[in-house]
Amino acid sequence: MWYVIVAAGILLCAILAVTSKRLLVSAIWLAVTSALTALMLYLLGAPQIAVIELSVGAGLVTVLFVFAINISGEEPLNLKPIMPRPLAWGLVVVAVGMTAYLLINSGILGSALVTSTTRPSILWEDRYLDIILQVSFIFCGVLGVLGVLSGGKPEIKEEDEE
Amino acid sequence: MSLILVLIIIGVPWFGAALILLDRDRHDKLQHSLAVLFALAAAAAAILLTTHASKESVLVLAAGTVFGDFTFVPDGLGVFLTLIATIIGSLAVIFSINYMHGEKGLGRYYAYVLFFIGAMSGLVLTSNMLLMFFFWEITALCSYGLISFHNDDPKAVRGGLKALIITSVGGVGLLTGALLLYVYSSSFDYNILLADPSVIPSKILALLAFFFLVAAAAKSAQFPFQTWLPDAMEAPSPISALIHAATMVNAGVYLLARFFPAFEGVAYWKEAVMAVGVLSALLAAIMALFANDFKRVLAYSTVSQLGYMVYAVGAGSVLASQFHLFSHSIFKALLFLGAGAVIHSIGTRDMTKMGGVGKAMPFVKWVFIIGALALAGIPILNGFWSKEMILEAGHATGAPVLYWIMVFVAGLTALYTIRMVWMVFYGEPRSDYHAHKVGVAMKIALAPLAAAALTSWLVIGSFTKLLGEESLPYHAIESLSLSGMFHEVVSLPTLIPLAVILLGILCWIFREKLTGIGKLFGWLRWLADHSFGFEAINSGLVSAAQSSAEGLRVTQTGILGWNILGILSTIIVLFTLFAIGA
Amino acid sequence: MNLPIPFIVGLAILSLAGVGFYCLLATRNLIKVIVGLQLIVKGVMLTFVLAGNLNDQVSLAQSMALTVIVADTIVAVVGLALAVQIRHKLGTLDTKALSSLKR
Repeated sequence: MWYVIVAAGILLCAILAVTSKRLLVSAIWLAVTSALTALMLYLLGAPQIAVIELSVGAGLVTVLFVFAINISGEEPLNLKPIMPRPLAWGLVVVAVGMTAYLLINSGILGSALVTSTTRPSILWEDRYLDIILQVSFIFCGVLGVLGVLSGGKPEIKEEDEE
Repeated sequence: MSLILVLIIIGVPWFGAALILLDRDRHDKLQHSLAVLFALAAAAAAILLTTHASKESVLVLAAGTVFGDFTFVPDGLGVFLTLIATIIGSLAVIFSINYMHGEKGLGRYYAYVLFFIGAMSGLVLTSNMLLMFFFWEITALCSYGLISFHNDDPKAVRGGLKALIITSVGGVGLLTGALLLYVYSSSFDYNILLADPSVIPSKILALLAFFFLVAAAAKSAQFPFQTWLPDAMEAPSPISALIHAATMVNAGVYLLARFFPAFEGVAYWKEAVMAVGVLSALLAAIMALFANDFKRVLAYSTVSQLGYMVYAVGAGSVLASQFHLFSHSIFKALLFLGAGAVIHSIGTRDMTKMGGVGKAMPFVKWVFIIGALALAGIPILNGFWSKEMILEAGHATGAPVLYWIMVFVAGLTALYTIRMVWMVFYGEPRSDYHAHKVGVAMKIALAPLAAAALTSWLVIGSFTKLLGEESLPYHAIESLSLSGMFHEVVSLPTLIPLAVILLGILCWIFREKLTGIGKLFGWLRWLADHSFGFEAINSGLVSAAQSSAEGLRVTQTGILGWNILGILSTIIVLFTLFAIGA
Repeated sequence: MNLPIPFIVGLAILSLAGVGFYCLLATRNLIKVIVGLQLIVKGVMLTFVLAGNLNDQVSLAQSMALTVIVADTIVAVVGLALAVQIRHKLGTLDTKALSSLKR
């Protein structure tokens, strides 16, 4: 029962996030979608991930979005997409429909859920490669942001000197 | 031990290339020294590897079930070609210290050269066909980058693009062969094919054999693809020596030699190979006779000698072909480096403006003459022994017409060689040029090659042992000692080619008296200048490739929406196929 | 509703992926592109956890989902930094103006 509500909520909030005209409103709806996804993760029996997703998705990423939108200035661009919207929706619906058809036919989605106890030690002991991977991701991300941000500095300096 | 050596041979030049690029052209001397250091390290490792040649694979990187294992096998063929690639690579790099002195973009140059040396070694040392294709394409890329090194010269750029497109045709043939092998034997390892050619059904095997012949012909500039090599002479001379004389163009001959046990049973394959070799040798020798550009003559002569090697493979003697490859790499690199010294000092490639260079540059004159004698097949030098072995093998097949054409081409070789040497080094200067002395680095590079051209035939015993049973189990190359070779070559059938060579030399010396006959062949000169029509075919190929690329450019719009459209359409199409198929 | 639970979760995943792809397809604002990417990645995360649940390996699925969250956050961070810089340099967030390929 809960699942249906959460799933419907996810669909609704995602559509609202995408179709809203103002960027800040999109970011807020994205945060709500993250929260609902976190709820669904919790219901599926993965509470640690749910908590992390809630704080990162609904917290960190939303703050980032708000920050970026404020810096870059909010202009309500009413740009027309490259193809008419009904065509885009149609294409997406067809693709999703085919995937759903194949998934249902393969019978994976028929079995019942399993509830088991989670062992957090798996992440830290058996998957040390994952940890190394994540650390390198964060490192690269920091380097990337520094690189991107430093690329703009000299131009601003020149404008100041003129 | 072999594992470390193989890793050094392939990895050290690549590492050197990265280091040199990091310097960003700030320190010339550092780039020169790093390049020489890394090239020599690879050469030392290659020399050590010859003592460890075996048919066991030394490096096996498991790459999953799709790509098979990436294996490296230092067997005889591979080790010997690695030796040539790294040693001549080192000598070319040493030569470049003087030749590329003060040029811009040195980092790019050395990085390409070192990258190429590593890739060529990888190509011959691997036994996984997919990896062989990977290295093959890397050598094509480096060749393109180096031919168009002076990228503000439109001729160089055109030459580079032409070489790239035509050798890519070869690459397609190789890839198709690799995929066919995989389909029929679930593995990319060619040793499976060599051990038992019947793994692939005979019609597919014939298809495979002819695809590989096309690939080899495109890469080695054989008939009908022979026009890219002369146009590639826009490259700096050390590059012509390394890539277009001693290593990359040998990749085609290597391919044929490697797969010979698998394809020798295919009907008409050996005859086709021999025909390709003979046609290339003949046409290129005629074109060399009429060319006036110093490096073009050498390029045509390379095509012609490669034709000899291909002919030898077709005649059934892989040993003769590889031995001639060995001799040819040495003397052709010597000739190209010598020509490079002359061109660098005089400033033009046009032989009609040279003449009497020998007085100003005696060292270059003597080493060049040694190389020219080897090319012409004069006794004692290494070219003589290997060419005679090829002609013996050709004689033994019992196809007389082809044999006599090859003997005639030997005479033509002597003729154009002595013409080239005469026009450049002897006589009176035909124009106002200023020749300066060669630098030390050039001399250091030229001297070992000249010494090797005089003596490399002495190692025939260890050479055949290297290619023998222990390391190449499927090729059945018998060992031949020095005295054995002596007996085989110095025998009655050898005298005929020698006589033809002498005739060729005499033709030049008495050329004033023969001008009447020369006028008769005026139509031949016209044909040779137009490359017997093949230039048109190859240019057509190149322009077709370029115009289709221009046409397809509309699909790359750079707009996210179109790319996502592509993704979604592919999903729909694929899943429809799955739904129907299931 | 007697639909099996994985089916409903599957519907949620597909809807997230679908809406995400629609967003990538039909927007010309660079920041909206990042929103679309985030939606798709949430769908991927749900898929991992669902698959882990069905195979009784929830902890393994959690570690993978954690990696995905980290990667996705980094993508969002760098993407937004890029968007800010592009706004500075080009003055607009229009993806069509970004492309300088010859047409």
